Amino acid sequence: MTYDLIILGGGPGGVAAGVYAARKKIKTLLITDVFGGQSLVSDDIQNWIGTPLISGFDLAKNLEAHVRSQEGIDIREGDLAARVERANESGFRIQTQQGEIFDTRALLLTTGSRHRKLGVPGEKELEGKGVVYCATCDAPLFKGKRVAVVGGGNSGLEAVVDLFSYALKVYLLHRRDSLKGDAVTREKIENNPDQATILYNVGVQEIRGDKWVTGLTYKDNKTGEVRTLDVEGIFVEIGSSPNSEIVADFVDRNKYGEIVVDPKTQRSSFSGIWAAGDVTDCFYKQNNISVGDAVKAVLNINTFLHNSNA
Amino acid sequence: MVNQKIASDNRVTLYTTPTCVYCKIAKEFFRKHNISFREVDVFADLDAREEMFSKSHQMGVPVIEIGDEIFVGFDRAIVARALRIS
Repeated sequence: MTYDLIILGGGPGGVAAGVYAARKKIKTLLITDVFGGQSLVSDDIQNWIGTPLISGFDLAKNLEAHVRSQEGIDIREGDLAARVERANESGFRIQTQQGEIFDTRALLLTTGSRHRKLGVPGEKELEGKGVVYCATCDAPLFKGKRVAVVGGGNSGLEAVVDLFSYALKVYLLHRRDSLKGDAVTREKIENNPDQATILYNVGVQEIRGDKWVTGLTYKDNKTGEVRTLDVEGIFVEIGSSPNSEIVADFVDRNKYGEIVVDPKTQRSSFSGIWAAGDVTDCFYKQNNISVGDAVKAVLNINTFLHNSNA
Repeated sequence: MVNQKIASDNRVTLYTTPTCVYCKIAKEFFRKHNISFREVDVFADLDAREEMFSKSHQMGVPVIEIGDEIFVGFDRAIVARALRIS
């Protein structure tokens, strides 16, 4: 099957692109594992413009319903692109994890980013055994337990606040000397010193445990001292890595792995490939921005398809 | 009808917490395909929590039990295959 456009990803960017592409009558396929993007697991989203308050789950439902209501767009949900190859001189061939093959003239990546891992000994072995990457999902399982959150940005601070409802004690480990997240959330933590202890200028060195997590080792970067902490849960919230590997052979990426795009058109360095949202080198990773950038991409793709027809 | 038959042959249990979004997605998937399932909240039910830990050797949700197979997380394609739905 040959498409004019294949969109990879079903977050706000991918859905916006799908809606615009369908309305431009571009022959489009959207491939996504799930709809909703990274906000799927948010309890409440208060900055999705036009909607004062919505859960990540409901936002995902709305996004899915909007793109499914469009005529003429094909959707493969529950699958992911596994491989991108050159199909002929100007197109691309996508092979999915389920083994399907599709050809396309233009490719748009709205694949977002994923949780970054610590990369320390014990982390991989104890993933799901106390090492947690979805605080919202798994915080309730740590009722009455001592836990650590690694990372002093917004997602780290939100994990600490989520855990206040369940955990006995929360240690927040941060590599800098001041927290980075929103002031409102920071104050909630600073005003609860009985339940939360903040450790500044520290780096996690090892996660310990056999069957389950029993603790971690960290280094105080100021004194050089190495200490241990007995905890049963470790919530890793140290930012994200872009899901850009699939086009690594084609496009220019920056040192973080983000796809470098022209901000006016969202074109990558490789003709025929566009990208929008968190997978790109855009400064601000936001749902609303991903939507706008994806729309720009589709409008530019529309011009490209018409020009290359002529 | 066919799906319901398969479901009763493969007793399906879904281990959840109240805040687990992927559990909600799994539930919608089961309902859409008329798969009957038992939902167990491992936040509220401590015995069920131990049962889930020992069966799945990990503590993340969702855990889905189909017959005597255990699946950690919700992967639509894998679960569909286990339930023989397309």
